[in-house]
Amino acid sequence: VEALSAMPEAVTEDREAESRLRAQVEALEWRLRKRDEQRRAMLHIMGDLNEVNRRLGDQRKAMLHILVDYEKDRSGLARQTERLDSSRRALLHILQDSHRSNLRLADSRKAMIHIMGDLRETTAEMQRREQELRDKQEQLVQAGKLATLGELTTGVAHELNNPLNNTGLFVGNAIDLIELGAADKGQIVRELRQAMQQVSKATQIISHLRTFGRAAPVSREPISLRPVIERALSLVQEQLRLHEIEVTLDLGPEEPVVVGNPIQLEQVFINLLANARDAVLDSPRKAIRISASVGSATVEIAFVDTGHGIPSGLERRIFDPFFTTKEVGKGTGLGLSITYGIVKEHGGTISVVSTPGEGATFLIQLPLPADKETSAP
Amino acid sequence: MTAVHVLIVDDDPALLQALPETLRLRMNGVTVDTADSAAAALDRISARDYDAIVADIRMPGMDGLTLLAEILGRRPDTPTLMITGHGEYDLALRSLRGGAYDFIQKPIDRDRFVASLHRAIEAHALNRREKDRRSALGRCVSELELIVVKLEREGGASHE
Repeated sequence: VEALSAMPEAVTEDREAESRLRAQVEALEWRLRKRDEQRRAMLHIMGDLNEVNRRLGDQRKAMLHILVDYEKDRSGLARQTERLDSSRRALLHILQDSHRSNLRLADSRKAMIHIMGDLRETTAEMQRREQELRDKQEQLVQAGKLATLGELTTGVAHELNNPLNNTGLFVGNAIDLIELGAADKGQIVRELRQAMQQVSKATQIISHLRTFGRAAPVSREPISLRPVIERALSLVQEQLRLHEIEVTLDLGPEEPVVVGNPIQLEQVFINLLANARDAVLDSPRKAIRISASVGSATVEIAFVDTGHGIPSGLERRIFDPFFTTKEVGKGTGLGLSITYGIVKEHGGTISVVSTPGEGATFLIQLPLPADKETSAP
Repeated sequence: MTAVHVLIVDDDPALLQALPETLRLRMNGVTVDTADSAAAALDRISARDYDAIVADIRMPGMDGLTLLAEILGRRPDTPTLMITGHGEYDLALRSLRGGAYDFIQKPIDRDRFVASLHRAIEAHALNRREKDRRSALGRCVSELELIVVKLEREGGASHE
């Protein structure tokens, strides 16, 4: 280059050519560098592209997996849809069926309402009848008691008449004493006191009769037998005394307690006593013996009389209502049938053993209280 | 009237207290004995001749009607009053037919009872007086007969 610069003309030309060349070379070199840069950039890009490509590959693979899964899900879904469809169809059937059932049910319900209505009416009718029956039963119990009282009327009237008569006499004496101007007031008081005693005697008889005759609900409770039998005896004792009928009461060492109604049981004993009284009237020995023994589940009460006994063949008929061997007007024929009814109602039994001419024995069995500890009030 | 004796027979002790007192208050000078049974009454009757007897018709043992028959057998003249229950007309009738002087119904009406007893006692006294008079009359008659016989004898002797 320095040699070329030394020649002026040629050199100038050469120089120009040379600079052109140089410029060209420089341009080429620049281009070369540029290209190299581009190539390097291109290489970077290519690397990146490769990376991207690899990632894309991975993603594709994953996509494929997803696709497979999706495919699987889709077919599962299709199957489920199918099942759902059939269920839906089944449901529809069921719904249709249930609609029909509903219709039928509505009909049944209507029919049921009718039946219920009928039933209600029937129940009301039944209740009415039951009430009627209860009323009738109570009336019957009452009538029975009155029948028992009826059998005792004469005796009771006599028993009441005595204290009334005595009262009248004592009071009359007191009046006489006062009217005569008696100086002794003590005597007047004595007469009046005795009148009072007679009044209380009459009151006792009447209050007993009232308790006995009162229409009261028939309750059941544990009761001691002795006072019940004693009360029954007190109502007939005047007649027993007048007819000189000897009565013995032997209830054993244990005080028997039974479950029952005291008034009704008293009625039983009055009937049996009245029966025994009538039976022994013509006998050479007039005696009635009442005894009781306590068993494991029952109390057995025996009424033994020394009367004429029961003609054989009549043992079974004597408990029939209106059956009587007494002459017309003497007995109602209800006593023993009422007795039988009451004993049955109490869950007990009554039977009779008799040898004609040698008296009769009436045996009553009454249940003991379920709890043996229960004592009578 | 001399001392009057009455017997009351009843098995009720209260009545045996009340009724004698009634009689003592209403009948002056009356003596009342009591008997609580027919048997006791018969004992008393055999011991004394009562002016009247009052007996209850209903009694244990011997009843009033049987007692009435016994009294009539022993003391046919003694008036007997029977006490019957109220409305017991059958028994009342039977006692009247059986020879009772009267019947008294319980509850006892004191006025009627005392009046009836008075009548009974008077009747008894009259009966007794009548008997006495009749026997006195009888005595007079037989005396007169004796006198007649005697006079006839005397008359026959003067004729001779």
